[in-house]
Amino acid sequence: MSFLVAFNWGWIAGAAALGFATGWVSPISRVRSLSTMTMRTSFAVVVALVAVSLWRVLPGRPGYWLDLGLVMFGAYLLGGAVGSWLRYVLLLRPDRPRGEEG
Amino acid sequence: MSEFSNWVRKWWPGLIPLAALWVAAIWTGTVPIEQHLTVQAAAALKDSVLDKTQIEVSGRDVRLSADAFSEQGRRTAVDQVASVPGVRLVTDQTQLIAEVVPFTWSVERDVVHVTLSGNVPLPAIKARLLEAAHNAANGTEVVDQMALARGAPVRFDAAALLLIDQISKLKEGKISLANTKVTLEGSAREIGGREAIAAALKNLPEGYTVEKNALYAPPYLFQVNKDPVASTLTLSGYVPDNNAHAAILSAIERKFVGEKVDDKLKASAGAPQGFLAATTAALSALSRLSTGTLTIQDRDVTLAGDALYPGANTRISDELAAKLPQGWKQKSELTVKPVATPVNATICQQLLTGLLAKGTIRFETGKAVIDPDSAGLLDRLIEAVLRCPTSQIEIAGYTDSDGDKEANLALSTRRAQSVADYLIKAGIPKERISAVGFGSERPVASNDTEEGKAQNRRIEFVVR
Repeated sequence: MSFLVAFNWGWIAGAAALGFATGWVSPISRVRSLSTMTMRTSFAVVVALVAVSLWRVLPGRPGYWLDLGLVMFGAYLLGGAVGSWLRYVLLLRPDRPRGEEG
Repeated sequence: MSEFSNWVRKWWPGLIPLAALWVAAIWTGTVPIEQHLTVQAAAALKDSVLDKTQIEVSGRDVRLSADAFSEQGRRTAVDQVASVPGVRLVTDQTQLIAEVVPFTWSVERDVVHVTLSGNVPLPAIKARLLEAAHNAANGTEVVDQMALARGAPVRFDAAALLLIDQISKLKEGKISLANTKVTLEGSAREIGGREAIAAALKNLPEGYTVEKNALYAPPYLFQVNKDPVASTLTLSGYVPDNNAHAAILSAIERKFVGEKVDDKLKASAGAPQGFLAATTAALSALSRLSTGTLTIQDRDVTLAGDALYPGANTRISDELAAKLPQGWKQKSELTVKPVATPVNATICQQLLTGLLAKGTIRFETGKAVIDPDSAGLLDRLIEAVLRCPTSQIEIAGYTDSDGDKEANLALSTRRAQSVADYLIKAGIPKERISAVGFGSERPVASNDTEEGKAQNRRIEFVVR
């Protein structure tokens, strides 16, 4: 894991930045929200993929690609969480004066 | 919290560029990471003893194939690759090299090649043997036909290196090792090469033995040519060492009468057993010839030439055969020198006196037994006596002044009689010979010095 991060830190940072941006804009985004069913399905797929990765089911390059994909996806989620939380803390908290975001 | 959950439901649009980013990371990063892991895995195996090592990296998974030389070495190699940071899985395709029984190895030399073949236990040992072979081959091409195998005896490398060192002493041949047994065949480059190799093989590691030494060496040659015209003995060929050389020269001095010695002998190992005894006996025989050649080749003695009087040729040949050490063969091609023209008594006396001036008939100390070294001189005296068939010969014996006068007289008489008997046995008519002893009378030199005493102990021939 640490080797994967060390070797691909640029791409993972990019994924985290992308997640941050997505998380930052998501409170004001007008895109369609995913249904609960879709969220659950997606969660199940991710858990399955993590299991495949941990059990090292996929050999060779596909195994490496899956590991990298999951790490980047994790960074994306982390970035998204930080982005949304910062937006909330900085601009959306009820005890703060309303800013330009409304 | 439900607000955050709503925001998360709107994160999906970012997944499209994330997928693009992932593809880009795969596209640009897969080969470099594989190369990086290949280098790291190879570095981890740097100190491992393996052969035919192949490292193939796919993603972060390593396929390791290699020939290992022990089970522990094989496991260690796999563990070392697995511990390289970043490696996810190791597919172990290592295998132990075959174990061979018996463990055989050989070094062979022909005219243009030195060939190493058989089994070696480790690549490092193989490299050392090849380097040693290059050094020993001295420019000859070295061919490597060795294969790696398990099952080598303890200290195989030391034994093989010692055997390779011997190849420089071979003209052609093969030195083989089967477990701890050494076999040698072929021919040595020089006289003594066989012995030099046998001596070197005494340093084989403990437990190693020479099972068969079938090496041949060039024949060990010793030759003496006796030229009566130039009165020269020409010595050529080999002697085992300086002591033997000195012993041979000393024997020549005792046995031959007045010949110059042209010494071209060289010292070399490889002499057959009993060389000095055989050479001494053969020189005794040669000393009794007028002209002759003595050739000793390994254990074959060939004597050719002319004896000095009829019957001497057979006697010389028989005596030589009896004196040679066991295992030696002799071949005599002896004829008899034609009888020289008869001379009168005066010249006969001159001939006999001349011969006795060059040499002395020797006896065992205090006894009347003729020293065998005097045979050459006696044969010459007999030849001279045969040239004056009508003359009477008186053989006079003398001693020095040491000891009892009566005893000296008796000893001198017995000694003169011994010489007379010798001449009669050689074919001189009994009635022509008389023996007289004079004891210490008529000294020819002072009895005060050892040198003078030696001159006084003598046999004289008087022609009447």
